[in-house]
Amino acid sequence: MVTRREILERGYGLGAIAVASLLKEQGLLANPQVAGSGPQHFDLLPKPPAHGFGKAKAMISMFMQGGPSHIDMFDPKPELNRLDGKDFPGEVKYDDAAGASSEVMGSPWAFKKHGESGMDFSELVPNMAGIADDITMIRSMHTGVNNHGQSINALHNGTALTGRPTLGSWLTYGLGAENKNLPAYVALTDPRGLPVLGVDNFTNGWLPSVYQGTVIRPKEPRILNLDPPKSLKGDAQHRYLDFVERLNRDHADQRPGETELEARIQSFELAARMQVAAKEALDINQESEATLRMYGVDKKETNDFGSRCLIARRLVERGVRFVSIFTGNQTWDNHSSILTSLPAACRYVDQPAAALVMDLKQRGLLDSTVVHWGGEMGRLPVIQNRSGAKKGDRKKVGRDHNTYGFSMWVAGGGFKAGHIHGATDEFGHHAVEDVVNHYDYHATLLHLFGLKPDELTFKRNGTDQSLVQNDEARVVEGLLA
Amino acid sequence: MNHRCLSGLLFLTAATLTSVAEEPLTFERDVRPILKTHCFHCHGEDEVTKGGLDVRLQRFLVKGGKDGPAIIPGKPDKSLLVKLLRDGEMPKEKSKLPEKEIETIAAWIQAGAVTARPEPESLEDAPLFTEEERNWWSFQPVARVAVPEGTGSDHPIDAFISRKLKEHSLSFSPRADARTLIRRATFDLTGLPPTPEEVDAFAVANVKDPEAAYAALIDRLLASPAYGERWGRHWLDVAGYADSDGVTEKDLERKHAWKYRDYVIQALNSDKPFDAFVKEQLAGDEIAALEGVNANSATEEERARYAELLTATGFLRMAPDGTGAKNDLLTRNASITDTMKIVSTAFYGMTIQCAECHDHRYDPITQADFYELRAVFQPGFNPVKWKNPNSRLVSLQTNEDKAKAAEVEVEAKAVEKARLAKQAEFIQIVLEKELLKVDEAGREAVRTAYNTTVKERTPEQVALLKTHPTINKLNAGSLYLYDSTYKTKYNEELKAMTAEAAKIREKKPVNELVQAFTEAPVKPEAIPATFLFHRGDPESPKDEVKPSDLDVLSGWRKTDLPESLDTVPTSGRRLALGDTLTDGTHPLLARVMVNRVWMHHFGTGLVKSVADFGFLGEKPTHPELLDWLAQEFVNSGWSLKELHRLILSSDTWQQQSQRDEIRDEIDPDNLLLSRQSKRRLEAETLRDSLLAVSGKLNPAHFGEPVPVMFTEEGQVVIGIDTTDTAGRQTGKFLSLEGQEFRRSIYIQIRRSRPLDLFAAFDAPAMTYANCEIRPVTAVSPQSLLLMNNIGMREHSQYFAQRLEKECAGKSTEETIRHAWKLAYGRNPSDSELSEASDFLTLQTASYTVEPTTLERLSGPASTEIASPHLLGLTALTHALLSTNEFLYID
Repeated sequence: MVTRREILERGYGLGAIAVASLLKEQGLLANPQVAGSGPQHFDLLPKPPAHGFGKAKAMISMFMQGGPSHIDMFDPKPELNRLDGKDFPGEVKYDDAAGASSEVMGSPWAFKKHGESGMDFSELVPNMAGIADDITMIRSMHTGVNNHGQSINALHNGTALTGRPTLGSWLTYGLGAENKNLPAYVALTDPRGLPVLGVDNFTNGWLPSVYQGTVIRPKEPRILNLDPPKSLKGDAQHRYLDFVERLNRDHADQRPGETELEARIQSFELAARMQVAAKEALDINQESEATLRMYGVDKKETNDFGSRCLIARRLVERGVRFVSIFTGNQTWDNHSSILTSLPAACRYVDQPAAALVMDLKQRGLLDSTVVHWGGEMGRLPVIQNRSGAKKGDRKKVGRDHNTYGFSMWVAGGGFKAGHIHGATDEFGHHAVEDVVNHYDYHATLLHLFGLKPDELTFKRNGTDQSLVQNDEARVVEGLLA
Repeated sequence: MNHRCLSGLLFLTAATLTSVAEEPLTFERDVRPILKTHCFHCHGEDEVTKGGLDVRLQRFLVKGGKDGPAIIPGKPDKSLLVKLLRDGEMPKEKSKLPEKEIETIAAWIQAGAVTARPEPESLEDAPLFTEEERNWWSFQPVARVAVPEGTGSDHPIDAFISRKLKEHSLSFSPRADARTLIRRATFDLTGLPPTPEEVDAFAVANVKDPEAAYAALIDRLLASPAYGERWGRHWLDVAGYADSDGVTEKDLERKHAWKYRDYVIQALNSDKPFDAFVKEQLAGDEIAALEGVNANSATEEERARYAELLTATGFLRMAPDGTGAKNDLLTRNASITDTMKIVSTAFYGMTIQCAECHDHRYDPITQADFYELRAVFQPGFNPVKWKNPNSRLVSLQTNEDKAKAAEVEVEAKAVEKARLAKQAEFIQIVLEKELLKVDEAGREAVRTAYNTTVKERTPEQVALLKTHPTINKLNAGSLYLYDSTYKTKYNEELKAMTAEAAKIREKKPVNELVQAFTEAPVKPEAIPATFLFHRGDPESPKDEVKPSDLDVLSGWRKTDLPESLDTVPTSGRRLALGDTLTDGTHPLLARVMVNRVWMHHFGTGLVKSVADFGFLGEKPTHPELLDWLAQEFVNSGWSLKELHRLILSSDTWQQQSQRDEIRDEIDPDNLLLSRQSKRRLEAETLRDSLLAVSGKLNPAHFGEPVPVMFTEEGQVVIGIDTTDTAGRQTGKFLSLEGQEFRRSIYIQIRRSRPLDLFAAFDAPAMTYANCEIRPVTAVSPQSLLLMNNIGMREHSQYFAQRLEKECAGKSTEETIRHAWKLAYGRNPSDSELSEASDFLTLQTASYTVEPTTLERLSGPASTEIASPHLLGLTALTHALLSTNEFLYID
């Protein structure tokens, strides 16, 4: 191998830019991601974290947009069943005043304890119950901003505002990617539509464009234009790519400091490599029959989510840093007819989500992969009645938003296994014990990846911006293995 | 639903959080905004005041609530407010306030908790807004600013810009070279590349007399019909133009929306004064009444004017509208709210729609403001008597034509009637022939059974007919089958009669329909009332509101709008709004528009948040220039072309875009404009450039949109959808006969199926009402498209064919030169020439060894082996069209 000194001293007859790029290819240049003013170089080369404490290398987030009802799935509240039909004994923080009702609704679904850890799950999610001992159930999530957009932003970018970089962008900015043949940050969207806020769910905000989430389409072809035209195959394409790159390099050399030109050269290189790599990575037919069945790919109801979970595993296995799997617009927003809409939402994801954790575990990937399952909110202990249904008629009622206390689960990457963290009050309305705010969650995630919030920064308008902007944020020790 | 409110909040910066260290802290300026954002809702604005504490005045804070005084002036550490904030106990259930804000409040208390002025006696009589809010820059009258003197710049824009540059020890970059200038200007004003001839001619003229050559260039470009197609696209973004309804999965097509698109293009090309442009879009129907033009006006000219005015109101029908598929109250309300967003961002540059459910969290816009503005449009929307999209189309047909059409219809109906009689006659003839096959004894029974209507047949008759299937099945639909049995031509005869009826109908005068916004003329007392909706819920109407402009402006201008005008048969509310917005002194409209124009010329607005001039938006980088331009715009008679001339004639615009270390150090985002900024081609411009360079561009203007369709692979391409009614691919191909080469503005925008190239390169799909500002991304799917998309390959083939034709008999070198000039508007360097030549040789050689056919995106695949020469050239042109030099403008 050529050493750094050899390259620098002899230059190998290459131009300065070529030298720099060769050095970077070989990881010989110092970590370039030091914030400063003036032109900078941004890329996706792997950047090992400076501190040795992180175990996590990748993350898969199953983002359940709409707000899964924690009190019907993960956080049993016998008190609600006792008070069922009565007035709520306290104050409810409604979001939708028009449908507000003080009538308590106990969960219509039976809960049982599972695994050695004795974690509670309702009958709606039998498969998740099966991974009780592999996950940490956080029952004390809190964002406190009671509508979808703001709470989605809180969980993705740390503030209630739109336009800031999302978690996946920060991680790829800080750590680069392990596989240079695939996008570092991938969004797997739902065929039924994008979540609320659309592409802002995976935006790079004002971080350079190379840290943008790349959408893999929910239907075949999952990535368009992966196959070269028949007249541009093989060597013909290699020569084409070389020629385009030479033209682009010359062009960029004459325009120093334009990071976007550089980003586009990189995106071209990536695109070329993706032709083979992405095809291979997305081809779930290479999986065994048993694996496909495990994820529910064989069944109509779970085919879509199962396929996407499986693709997520295949991507992470190949070194993709961050994968988001979204459920479509408001899948979990059970304002009405919760008796039928919630079970349907659960059936859509339960088996595939559990399979993903089991599969990562059996492949030895769970230790280095953070898995997240959760939405931007939970739901209220009282009914929401927009249909004007008569008392006692529960067919059409639902539950309103609750960002003051809700559940989500995490696994792998250094999170505790078989653990329940925090608690809500006896009604499941407010998180009261070991509260985990969105910024605490982010601080903890960065910690698992070996990153410190105050070091992972980007200079903008004269200030250092970071994912975790809140002074109160803390690494939640209780969540760590 | 709430997520809609966030789209405007894109640009939060340090600027909005600035604390003022020098001046003494006051309640109004420093503390109230913090409390307004986090506390007012529960402690003041809501019906029940929590804990008996109202925090809207300093006085109330001192007085306190149930738990005693909230503040003790001079003693922050003893003040309950500070304690609760520091402990994170307030705001209840919300994130703790940022340290900085808490400390601002503490410092204010420490310094005596002073107010800027005596507080009002009671809040009921008090102005709704504080002086600070009313004094917000964008609500102030446009200042009459003098052009800075002594800057050494003659051009007013340059004078403003250079003054600021000097303050930061910067200066203008040199003027860009001739090639860069003509390329930049041509793309900027027409969205197309200059031809090599234009580049050469300009370069020559530029040497002789740079100023005259440049002025002539700008004049030529502004006079080009392509100008309206380019700048029309910018306005269509703001208007949220689409050829489908969106919202539901059906995403129904809007067959008549394109007339509004053509109206916009024509308005821009004719340099219709912007004030008239705005008024026509808001109230074209009412202006028509004022001008006395209608569908039955005497002259062609008047009727055309009526059509134009009505079409303009299509602006108010651009929002997504699901009521064609799902006509319920919520869906109607959503479409109205989206329209309000469009009106708000287009004309106000504010996020008024964020006040739909509650007072605006940041800006001095009350919930009442939202509904008072909505009241302007309420008579037209009339959600109670809502018309679905098809039933609200307006016919432009004259009474005379209508009568003519009715006459023709009578004629056609007569033929159809005759046809039915004939058909019945034929059926009887066939029946008799078939009956001959039945035993004579049973014949009459079968005849009777057959001639009895289906419903009245007895079970015995039904059973009987079943035993004679050729009789049982005889009907109008099967009649043609008996033609071969009896060697008759009944079917042909009937078909001819159908055709005859159709032919007669063709004589009908065309009934042109427009997608317009109109009101039913009603007496003032019958105008549908507008209510403020509790929490934005249309099912919870509260107080009735009257039409009005934003209340925050009421300090210095009239904001009330009339409930009805006598001058027009309709309410006239939109007419009145149009008048007030364009009266030349409204603080927002002119500023917002010149800022948009500036953004399209420089990549960034003087106010970066072009659709948010509120507290969360960015403040103008050059406030005086913004006001000077706004004033100049109004003074010029609202001429957009004059505004372009003004901006493009500045040194500021003509600078080169090259970065250097000093500039990047001092001003990395180029806010001060010491250089131009590089720009990536927008999606539509990219496609138009591909067409222009390959020589395929079909320059036809206007008309119905060119359709898009799904391919079998799920890509969205230009083409006629030939899937069957069940949505299955039939494999049938219908040629568009050159329509596929029309400019991008004429391609159908179906919200649920954006053209692949458009979607990949950040064109809006208009699913969120409109597009205030486009993102610019550089993800790998774009590169994959440039590299592997068959459509790209097709463009490259056409480009190669053009080269073969235009360089027939010329050397390879000359061909390469020509390719360079077409694609980049410049000559290749020597090294580029030799590299390209090598590349061409190698590729051509490989196609000699491995022959192949040309690529086709849709339609039958080509089977003919193409010449290696053409394929080699295609490889070269494809490479040129894939480069950054093609994609970016210096």
